Amino acid sequence: MKIVVCVKYVPDATGDRGFNDDGTTDRESVDSLLSELDEYAIEQALKIVESGVEAEITYLTVGPDDAKDALRKALAMGGDNAIHVNDDDIAGTDALGTSLILAKAIERAGFDLVICGMASTDASMGVVPAMLAERLGVPQVTYLDEVTVEGTTVKGGGTVKGRREGDVATELIEAALPAVVSVTDRTGEARYPSFKGIMAAKKKNVEALDLDDLGIESDQVGLSAAWSIVDTATKRPPRAKGEVVEDEGEGGVQLAGFLAAKKFI
Amino acid sequence: MRLAYTEDQELFRDTVRDFLADRCTGTDVRAAWAADSAISTRWAELAKVGVTGIVVPEEHDGLGMGDEELAAVLVETGYAALPEPLLESAVAVGLLAEFAADAGWLAEIAAGRATASVLLPGRRLAVEAAAADVLVIGLDNGDLHVTDPGACELTAHRSVDRSRKLYTVGFQPTPETLVASGAQRALARASNRGALGAAAQLLGLTRRMLDMTVDYAKQRVQRGVRIGTHQSVQHHLANVLIKLEFARPVVLRAAYSLARDLPSADRDVSMAKIYAGEAADLAARNCLQVHGAIGYTEEHDLQLFMKRAWALGTAWGDAGEHRDRIATDLLGDAPAPSTPSF
Repeated sequence: MKIVVCVKYVPDATGDRGFNDDGTTDRESVDSLLSELDEYAIEQALKIVESGVEAEITYLTVGPDDAKDALRKALAMGGDNAIHVNDDDIAGTDALGTSLILAKAIERAGFDLVICGMASTDASMGVVPAMLAERLGVPQVTYLDEVTVEGTTVKGGGTVKGRREGDVATELIEAALPAVVSVTDRTGEARYPSFKGIMAAKKKNVEALDLDDLGIESDQVGLSAAWSIVDTATKRPPRAKGEVVEDEGEGGVQLAGFLAAKKFI
Repeated sequence: MRLAYTEDQELFRDTVRDFLADRCTGTDVRAAWAADSAISTRWAELAKVGVTGIVVPEEHDGLGMGDEELAAVLVETGYAALPEPLLESAVAVGLLAEFAADAGWLAEIAAGRATASVLLPGRRLAVEAAAADVLVIGLDNGDLHVTDPGACELTAHRSVDRSRKLYTVGFQPTPETLVASGAQRALARASNRGALGAAAQLLGLTRRMLDMTVDYAKQRVQRGVRIGTHQSVQHHLANVLIKLEFARPVVLRAAYSLARDLPSADRDVSMAKIYAGEAADLAARNCLQVHGAIGYTEEHDLQLFMKRAWALGTAWGDAGEHRDRIATDLLGDAPAPSTPSF
């Protein structure tokens, strides 16, 4: 079977992230890396193969030149090959546009299972997996804490099963392949690339595609075609000094008063 | 000569850095202080990444890399003050690979199932000799022995850095333990690897102490101002950075020379050990100064890095020994004028 793992190259979440004047992500002032949440998707793809399912793992990213670093890291962790969609006209694309590009690239590559992280660590929208499933016309099984694949044959088929922990219930969900799944950061720690993996990754093929290759017109994507744009952004104000309650026998009353004033109780 | 990491070396470095940031915190280093041996389950995890087999030949399941890659990794293990004897194992591995490859230890070390300790001519202490599975001993006459540490009389000695478990070794050479004679050249090379590795770790330690202290100076408020805004504090830290940046290329140069067995390797390694030692020594002093009294306490992590720096400053030859080697390289064996007697 073919597994496609979608990965994103994002500004380091521990850095001082910001926006450009046009509201797009500032990629200059902060180092970027493979989105941590996508590492869980990579780990699950590798686990599926290690569980005995015969599969080829392809990583797919949409991003600028440097985004190949994210693919390199993914390939160092394991997997077979990668696709890098890179085009100047993609800058400023929103989730809808991104899902279009991803879907076209996935259709071109062929797939039985698409695995995504639960969200990106920069935009944090978490909607791309659902949009992808819609565009590809296959079932979506999202926010899984556990994922397994069963019953696959050389001719395809099989099912993907997963467990989703909600606030009020644990759902056990399954879908016939082909399908799109997204996995959470509770699926299990992602492995570190090994030195051997790093060396092996250099020999793995990374296919470079642009919008023409995918049959996408430049006016379908980019900032001008975006349905969601960033109007303004305001830096979070620095943390104000907290209020210290001196307990002189009625500290509890003061605390309760504070919480009541803030409408917490 | 390009004194910078290759792309591969950068990726190795980043991988080890990420791993150690998770798996070798101050708390972990403290655990090694309290334990009988600093070798933990982390050794097997390091093996999975490939760290323990970095200089093990490929035919013994290692990566077959050399002193440059080893040094790049050791800078990171210094930064984290990794308590496991990675350097000592790597020095032993070099000798085992040359003279005792068939004994089976190499693949075990690469897989993280074994550790090796080493005692070279002119040295008295073997790190982790009691916990090691194999002990490699070089004698002054150029004989090389490989033995079971259990067959030696080991006496523990306390290091200033209590995560370093040091032992003197009572050892009776036998024909069975002898694996090579006339191995002076290989022993000298192993000794250079040890000194280079210590220098690389000292670079990492310097960077760590500096990073910690810069963070502290940005946070610590005294008399209403952050102490990092004082020029005198900035100077202390800038001086450490200057020493570090001077030492870095010297260590890279030494790794380059040793990896290629250049005639200048002895001198370059000694230069590296001296420069990195001076950087770490200044870092320890200035960072302690900037931290103030909190830096003296055992509860604060600074001491973990400071004491490792002190220990490594004298391990594998102190500054005096290495200056002597440089003098010999520059001036030949001409004896220094002796003190006149009247």
